Amino acid sequence: MAKIIIDGNEIEVPAEYTLLQACEQAGAEVPRFCYHERLSVAGNCRMCLVEVKGGPPKPTASCAMAVKDLRPGPNGEPPVVLTNSPMVKKAREGVMEFLLINHPLDCPICDQGGECDLQDQAMAFGIDNTRYAENKRAVEDKYIGALVKTTMTRCIQCTRCVRFTTEVAGVTELGAIGRGEDMEITSYLEQAMTSELQGNVIDLCPVGALTSKPYEFTARAWELTKTESVDVMDAVGSAIRVDTRGREVMRILPRLNEDVNEEWISDKSRFIWDGLKTQRLDRPYVRHQGKLKPVSWSEAFMTVAAHVKGKKGSQIGGIIGDLASVEEAYAFKSLLETFGSHNLDCRQDGSMIDPAWGRASYLFNAGITGIDHADAVLIIGANPRKEAAVLNARLRKRWRQTGLPVARIGAPADLTYTCTDLGASLSVLADIEAGKGDFAAVLQAAKHPLVIVGHAALKGSDAKAVLAAAARLSQREGWNGLAVLHHAASRVGALDLHCVPSQGGLDARAMSKANAVDVLFLLGADEIDVDLGAFVVYIGSHGDRGAHRADVILPAAAYTEKSGLYVNTEGRVQRGYRASFPPGDAREDWAILRALSEQLGTGHQLPFNSLNELRAFLFKDYPALAELDQVHAHSAAGIDALIAHKGAFAAQPLEPLFADFYMTNPIARASAIMAECSALASGHVAMAAE
Amino acid sequence: MKAILLRIFTWWHGATVGTLFHTWRKGEKVGEDQYGNQYYQTKGQRVDPALGIVRRWVIYKGEADASMIPAGWYGWMHHKLDVLPHQENYISRAWEKPHQPNLTGSAGAYRPHGSILQDNSQSSAKETYKPWNPA
Repeated sequence: MAKIIIDGNEIEVPAEYTLLQACEQAGAEVPRFCYHERLSVAGNCRMCLVEVKGGPPKPTASCAMAVKDLRPGPNGEPPVVLTNSPMVKKAREGVMEFLLINHPLDCPICDQGGECDLQDQAMAFGIDNTRYAENKRAVEDKYIGALVKTTMTRCIQCTRCVRFTTEVAGVTELGAIGRGEDMEITSYLEQAMTSELQGNVIDLCPVGALTSKPYEFTARAWELTKTESVDVMDAVGSAIRVDTRGREVMRILPRLNEDVNEEWISDKSRFIWDGLKTQRLDRPYVRHQGKLKPVSWSEAFMTVAAHVKGKKGSQIGGIIGDLASVEEAYAFKSLLETFGSHNLDCRQDGSMIDPAWGRASYLFNAGITGIDHADAVLIIGANPRKEAAVLNARLRKRWRQTGLPVARIGAPADLTYTCTDLGASLSVLADIEAGKGDFAAVLQAAKHPLVIVGHAALKGSDAKAVLAAAARLSQREGWNGLAVLHHAASRVGALDLHCVPSQGGLDARAMSKANAVDVLFLLGADEIDVDLGAFVVYIGSHGDRGAHRADVILPAAAYTEKSGLYVNTEGRVQRGYRASFPPGDAREDWAILRALSEQLGTGHQLPFNSLNELRAFLFKDYPALAELDQVHAHSAAGIDALIAHKGAFAAQPLEPLFADFYMTNPIARASAIMAECSALASGHVAMAAE
Repeated sequence: MKAILLRIFTWWHGATVGTLFHTWRKGEKVGEDQYGNQYYQTKGQRVDPALGIVRRWVIYKGEADASMIPAGWYGWMHHKLDVLPHQENYISRAWEKPHQPNLTGSAGAYRPHGSILQDNSQSSAKETYKPWNPA
């Protein structure tokens, strides 16, 4: 710790703090453009100049000078920093004037207008006129992909985007060429960025040089209604803010959540919103003579009731999709229970994970923040870059900080950091357990080993053996490094509710076979092919695979249109809020199930009439779900039984979990932006193969 | 009678008596546009000592509204052109649209997409999403 006097206040800060951090600690606001907490220090915008007493007689860039670099006074007084002296004011005005020499005055047509750092800081720290009558420099716009629009004339060369792509995203595709006034940010070859996190450069850009291409000229920041919610595109549960105008979702931005997504979100989370406006189910349908016909709600309910009537529990089944919230999974389960049906499954991808093995067997037990303590990582079957892009950025951060040794079992993939490829077959796991190979030694020596298990490794009958081996490799005193990486937002919540077949019930794969059940309810389940035979009732928001197969379609709300709880891969219960309303006649899923239950006859009626009542029932049955935003990291309860399990591993190589990052759920498949990204990404693959 | 009173007491309707007197004394009519606005310049194209150029002015037909002046006459009024719109060597551009006065405040005013003041304010909510069609 070191003492420092900032604007007359003496405070104590860690010696390695920069002056800018120390000033923030002291409550003094320092303007900045290039400095960003999560990126390396560049020190090239010069906006954060402060006056340092006893130092050189010139202003100092506070982001690039550490507290320990300052000399104390002659009698050992702490160094003095001024952030509001006349010299600092003049220096800031000068820097701002220089920045504005070449910055166009096109704020009225700039998408950044209203949320622009340069605008704000020019108002706060600049002067009210200009002394430059010369022509402004113009820079040609660059093509850097389908998501980020460039207006490079506006660029002030802060290089945040360059640092983000190289440091956080791990792709060296943006850089700067030229010097001084002629410096340009470019992708060199005018090619699309290949990162799954590229959208974050839009937020990072302090001016309007990089803006969102799909959002281009559609809305102004101040006319949007902001709703804080939770992302469902993957199981990380990133904090998002849904911006709506009227009933339309205009864009999705990340929120700060240090424990989950820091301040990044993946492109799928950010640019999915156009999928919320296409292919929407906005009225109930019933299949008449092979054709789906629009009907009223009551007609649709009557049709379902007629087909369900007289059926035994074993003839009825239900599959929960990847985007369902905990509430609707609970309502769904309760409805099936009224029939005495045990055919219920939330694992439509065919994974064999079972909540009977204990809650610790299906969670990312170390927590996402646990990555920041890990000293060796073994990844089994997962491709975190595709399955949880934000989590992968955290792994990369740890790798950059400490040279984290990472090894991976699974189909070859580029994770953006050095990773030892142990082959694609799970049989390697037996060797590691036996202590064979270099990485086995690394893992044994590690104090905080993290073993990430993806669903690609959990689809076979050896799932329990894989989890058991992973658990054995990752247990330390006070540390449970068994980390199951889920890819579906609904999965952990549904597993917490035990939405798996019980007492000889059929699992998702068995239910989808012809004539396995007579009536099959799909709660937004679109990743599974249901064979002909069963009468299928589809409850969902988009006209996707499930709707095409359905005999009755009950239109429901997408994730931005309902309030709901989601449990992320580390077991954190988070609450999403409604940002807009479902289109047309569509209703929230739990309300559909409640209304349907009443039509199915006595004994089937669900006991709640509002979402709050539903939640009261839910929290009574599952008190753990009432603990919002809490993680019981490293809990090893019930893992001993799992550890004791021994089994053989399948020898065949693991397949990637999904082929296309941009096409993993019905909303994404409805999105034109995602389709374009997907085409660009497959183009890259083709190029690489040539 | 109403026209005379309007002429004497209002400045926003046509020209005031003073302007008419000035026009009669110093002005020389140049032409008239399709709306009936009349355009004048100083007699004999005398250079106005205060302006350093020939003074040009318009007497509106009806209410005075500068947006009533069509593109060709606008150019002439602002000394961008010396060619009058009805002269043979006047070049009209291909991209010029038929002139339309400012409609703000009138029934024909521009109403943005989704405005409830639109004539056919059929809820634009339908347009915010594309429904799935099973066909």
